[in-house]
Amino acid sequence: MLSSLRTALALLVAVLIALPAGSAPSSDWPGQEMPLPLVVREPEDLAFKAAAERQYLIFNLLSSGRLAYDRGDMDTAASRWEELLRVPGLPLELEAVVKPLAAEARQKAGGKAALDLPMPPPPQGYTLLPTPKPELKPEPAAFQENVSPRKAPASSPRVEVRRPRVSATGTLEGTVQGGPSGAAGAVVWLTRAQGPTPKPKPAPRQIVVQRGKRFLPHVLLVPTGTEVSFVNEDKMFHNVFSLSRPNDFDLGLYKEGVARNKVFTNPGPVRLLCNIHASMSAFVYVVDSPWYAQADGRGRFELRGVPPGEYVLHAWHETSAKPSSQHLTVGEGRLSVAATVTGDAERTAFVPDKAGRPRQTQMGY
Amino acid sequence: MSARTGFIPTLTLLLLAAAPAPAESASQEGTQVSEAMADAVGEVLPEALPGVEEPDASSSSAPSGYTPEAESVSPFRVSGYVDVGFAKAQGRGSSFHPDDTRVPADYGADAFAPAVNSRGDVASLDAGGRFVNGFLPRTVDIGGHASFLLNTASLDLFYEPSSAPVLVFARTQFLPRFEKGSGGTRLLLQQAFGRVTPFSGHELTVTVGRFDSVFGIEYRENESPLRTGITPSLMARYTTGHQLGVKSFYRRQLPSLSSAVSLNVAITNSSSRVESLQTADLSLTGLPFVSARLGYELQLLRLQLKLGMSGQTGARNDQDDAHVRQTQLGADARLTAGWFSLAAEYVRARDDAGSAPGKHTGVGDFFYASGFAVDGFYGTLALAVPVGDEALRTATVYSRYDRRAAEFHGFGGILTSRYTVGTRLDFWSVLSLKAEYLFNRENAGAPRVDNDVFTASAIYVF
Repeated sequence: MLSSLRTALALLVAVLIALPAGSAPSSDWPGQEMPLPLVVREPEDLAFKAAAERQYLIFNLLSSGRLAYDRGDMDTAASRWEELLRVPGLPLELEAVVKPLAAEARQKAGGKAALDLPMPPPPQGYTLLPTPKPELKPEPAAFQENVSPRKAPASSPRVEVRRPRVSATGTLEGTVQGGPSGAAGAVVWLTRAQGPTPKPKPAPRQIVVQRGKRFLPHVLLVPTGTEVSFVNEDKMFHNVFSLSRPNDFDLGLYKEGVARNKVFTNPGPVRLLCNIHASMSAFVYVVDSPWYAQADGRGRFELRGVPPGEYVLHAWHETSAKPSSQHLTVGEGRLSVAATVTGDAERTAFVPDKAGRPRQTQMGY
Repeated sequence: MSARTGFIPTLTLLLLAAAPAPAESASQEGTQVSEAMADAVGEVLPEALPGVEEPDASSSSAPSGYTPEAESVSPFRVSGYVDVGFAKAQGRGSSFHPDDTRVPADYGADAFAPAVNSRGDVASLDAGGRFVNGFLPRTVDIGGHASFLLNTASLDLFYEPSSAPVLVFARTQFLPRFEKGSGGTRLLLQQAFGRVTPFSGHELTVTVGRFDSVFGIEYRENESPLRTGITPSLMARYTTGHQLGVKSFYRRQLPSLSSAVSLNVAITNSSSRVESLQTADLSLTGLPFVSARLGYELQLLRLQLKLGMSGQTGARNDQDDAHVRQTQLGADARLTAGWFSLAAEYVRARDDAGSAPGKHTGVGDFFYASGFAVDGFYGTLALAVPVGDEALRTATVYSRYDRRAAEFHGFGGILTSRYTVGTRLDFWSVLSLKAEYLFNRENAGAPRVDNDVFTASAIYVF
């Protein structure tokens, strides 16, 4: 769904590029100021600034190339777009739009197509290979159809974007069942049956929002080492804490619009509570494995990219005291499994505060 | 469309289109795949700066993970507990001295002192045949015999629909009592109320029905799983009753002070006294009783301090004259720091004398509603040590000191005190074992009597 959205957005970009300008823009637009004058006070400011500058650079090169193209300055247009194509991690859809334009501009400028020149390193995860065919590699039909007014000429440079070759892996799909009211949101992960399980890479920072005196999401699955940001979006204070050892923590009291972070380094369930509002409860489950997935509302899950071998499949649900486990063998291709979680978790009628003292939720405070 | 205006929406779209693809949300796509997250690991993340605590939240993007649909969560919840115990009181199990001939007998001793369970039931009310006038607790009537007790079986029912900020709550309690003088087995509807939270952005609740008191703090832990120890304090009889009416709680947080202030106000049929001291289920005078507590909370990372002042006034609800007043003031403090917690409460109450014969309480009808004055306090210090994650989770030792000075008009005042020491072990999160010893002391105005108590309790929560 997201990829479709991204394609559609890129398509719209292409259409907008193709539209004739109604009036000439001022000569000082777009500006060239880099780095952007954004104040950096906190780590988040730095991240924000980096993201904004990246997007600004993309926009700037894209639009200034277009402006140059419209005024007949093909050399500048080609330079701008070629520079744009060297931006690491440029979305493929955008790349596909700009590449023929850049080649056309370069050709009109009387120069050699930039893509025949030594190429910058390709975006991570992709390999750029010259192909004998003159056409651009087919894109989704709708996309190609809309791009047709600017279709690349037959003489345009030819590239093909291919996924890197990877060794054969298996895909594990299945359903988690059990629990007193189903296994929606259950977490599953694999560990090697023999030998150590590889350590997972920490995921990008995850977010748990406090909104309407609830934690969202209710169950978050993260690999060890992942930082989770607890963002208060309520107009009232919250004090997120957990008594789940060894992942126990206390973020203290903080107001609306403030986030506090916690890195989870130990595997296991972490029950999230609020010291102010006894009715708030959620879970973070930390796994020490690179192969993990979270089931949907029907308990379905899918784990891709699992090297063939012997594994133990673990499954946990918030109603489980301990994860369940089962041995299985993963080969190349798909493997269907059924996992079962227990519903034997201790039910806590009285929710503890951060000092461990039980509270009555019906009081509302 | 100018190039400028044409490109501005384009920029927005580009920012979206060029943004790195996030991991698919399980709640949206049904599956969260590790590969997607692993692919995204290459993203540059800012390292948290040491000492930086409160970065502004720059994003409220939809988090990944799983959140059940509101409709899929049952609005009904059931929980409860069973409390069984063992108790042995000294002497005859009552505070009445056999050689004391004063009447009413309950005006010259503290009948509430030899408590054996969390309800404040005493071992005995045996006054040796002397006349008593209704200043009495409930009793399990075990005298001085070592006995096993079925203290309470309690069931809580919650109804909390996701579609409305409403909670309906009922607490029913079954109290098996087999001894002859205990008054028999009872089934109580201890609480039954509806609570509305009208504004999502404000901590304001309005509650209607039969509910906990708002006076002081001891009502908050009056159920056996909640109280650190077993028995209530010597002042609990004035603050832990349940009334019929309406109450409202409001809390306002003070951002710059890491603090909050709160106001809890109730308009009810009777005061916060327990049902054995007044008529609990109706108003004898037809006039409302007004109670309130003003609270302050300081929430620091390793320290919590909560202070409160309470007051209530209204017509005594153990007699029929609307002009006979009862007033009560209180102050409370709670401090939690690490494994230590301290709770203390002071209560001062004044009752006008009834204008006509007749006194009606939850345990019966008596002769006269005497004028009454009492001042007292208690303080509890507890050390709760986390033990582990297996069976035994927490071990707690605690001690409490109570002191109470009371006087019925026309009768000599009495001063009593109590030292309580005990321990509590919490297994998993469902079983608590407690044991404590009460050293009851008659300091002045009442004859010394052997009424110390050893009591133990096992509470299973479900």
